[in-house]
Amino acid sequence: MADLTVELCGLRLKNPVIAASGTFGFGREFDELYDIGLLGGVSTKGLTLEARLGNPVPRIAEARGVILNAVGLQNPGVEHFIKYDLDWLKGKGTAVIANVAGRTKEEYADICARLDGLADMIELNISCPNVKCGGMAFGIRPESVEEVTRSAKSALKKTPLMVKLSPNVESIAANACAAERGGADALSLVNTFTGMAIDIERRKPIIANNTGGVSGAGIRPIAVRMVFEAANAVNIPVVGMGGITCAEDAVEFLMAGAVAIQVGTANFTDPLACPKIIEGLGCWCDAHGVKKVSELTGALRLNG
Amino acid sequence: MKDYRALVTSNREIAEGIYELVFVLPEPVAVRAGQFAEISVGGAHLLRRPFAVCKAEGEKITVCFQVRGEGTRRLASVGAGERLQVLMPLGNGFFVRPEEKKVALVAGGVGIFPMISVAREYAAEKELHAYLGFRNAAAVCGLDEFAGAKAVRAVTDDGSFGEKKNAVQGLETDLQAGIRPDVVLACGPLPMLRALKSTLEKAGIPGYVSLEERMGCGIGACLVCVCNLTNGEHARVCKDGPVFPIGDVEL
Repeated sequence: MADLTVELCGLRLKNPVIAASGTFGFGREFDELYDIGLLGGVSTKGLTLEARLGNPVPRIAEARGVILNAVGLQNPGVEHFIKYDLDWLKGKGTAVIANVAGRTKEEYADICARLDGLADMIELNISCPNVKCGGMAFGIRPESVEEVTRSAKSALKKTPLMVKLSPNVESIAANACAAERGGADALSLVNTFTGMAIDIERRKPIIANNTGGVSGAGIRPIAVRMVFEAANAVNIPVVGMGGITCAEDAVEFLMAGAVAIQVGTANFTDPLACPKIIEGLGCWCDAHGVKKVSELTGALRLNG
Repeated sequence: MKDYRALVTSNREIAEGIYELVFVLPEPVAVRAGQFAEISVGGAHLLRRPFAVCKAEGEKITVCFQVRGEGTRRLASVGAGERLQVLMPLGNGFFVRPEEKKVALVAGGVGIFPMISVAREYAAEKELHAYLGFRNAAAVCGLDEFAGAKAVRAVTDDGSFGEKKNAVQGLETDLQAGIRPDVVLACGPLPMLRALKSTLEKAGIPGYVSLEERMGCGIGACLVCVCNLTNGEHARVCKDGPVFPIGDVEL
């Protein structure tokens, strides 16, 4: 059996498969279906400083090959997570990646400081509305990506920082470089694409928030291209995601330059998607004479 | 809760746009009244569809659904011999206390389907009064499943079957006649549930409602299917529900 372990910012992951933020809660529910200790890592539901109730319902819609969601960061707050969920999750033996969402760069730093030395890694969610920058998202402009990354990094003495990039940008390479300049230890991408689905009988958007983040199998080729561009623009490791449904999809992201991958929407289609992808990766490597899954990272050979 | 590969044994239209889907699981499964299943519809559909379990007879499971969009249209085309992924049993379900002897079931439209499981589970030990509202005669289905109830009042919005009234008005008629249940269990459209809440508050009768919401994971992880509680918090319809005390939820 091939060696599936990968190294990410000094962390040794059992395998390159991480459950993506927002689809997996803090892992408790999926642990009723399978031992989540099998996973390379779990990226938690986005954590804010205070508890948040999120958006009105409906929060989800489906279009062909994709889904749209606008949950609006409902979560119990970072302190509640630290008190009631963190130790349980760490006890499962999977890497705990705390996904962090702030309203200001100071708040990002505050949340990071509370998790420093407790979580195995921070994933900075920078596609939330930014009140201080006139409603623009932190993740859109390279300047604000660099600024918020630097602020978060300054609060972290022990825990490595991964910055999750938004795909709704002019140049993913420019934003990847901005995060690297700001001190990011790793990048993850892509977050969801902003979209809209309309109920034509009611002449209204299906989702209460009108727009939602598009994810799922249908976005995969775009995500692969963006991971390829980001990985080639920076010298820090990249974690790839966007529509991964099976082991072959995961291999595609690794070849495009990702060190590890995240699985989100597929957890809804098949609640056992993550363990199936882990098993499938081992089989794929064995069938292709790959001794270590880490050999696949960046193994892409471009056409002439 | 497990994810099963189920074998479809029949799928037939039992009323206008309403299908009864029967499938067999690899093992017998204990299902409480009011629990539900998340069923894959296949094709390019990434989300499963949540449906109340009407009947659980060992490994044989029956659900009923209304064709509402592309996903349910595809599910309606599934035939005997085909396979579906089914995650079940999910949610809390209904629970009737031992001291609650006289139980009213109030259902509107497709809200009848979770009530079928209640009627089957409690018919032997409780005095059941069912109030079943439908849009019209073409939508009427499932009445046979309430054969164990002491009384069944089936009504339609247009009077084409039974009296011309809704299910809550049916309950009110009995309340006025002195037929008073110890508890009311309900499922149906929001306007019906709002009317029921007001009726039960006035009468001082406890009630429980099974709610419906668009779902993601179906197991409580994604926080997509929340409802507002009267205490200002959110509850997950899939995991904390789908059954809630009627006074605890904003309708």
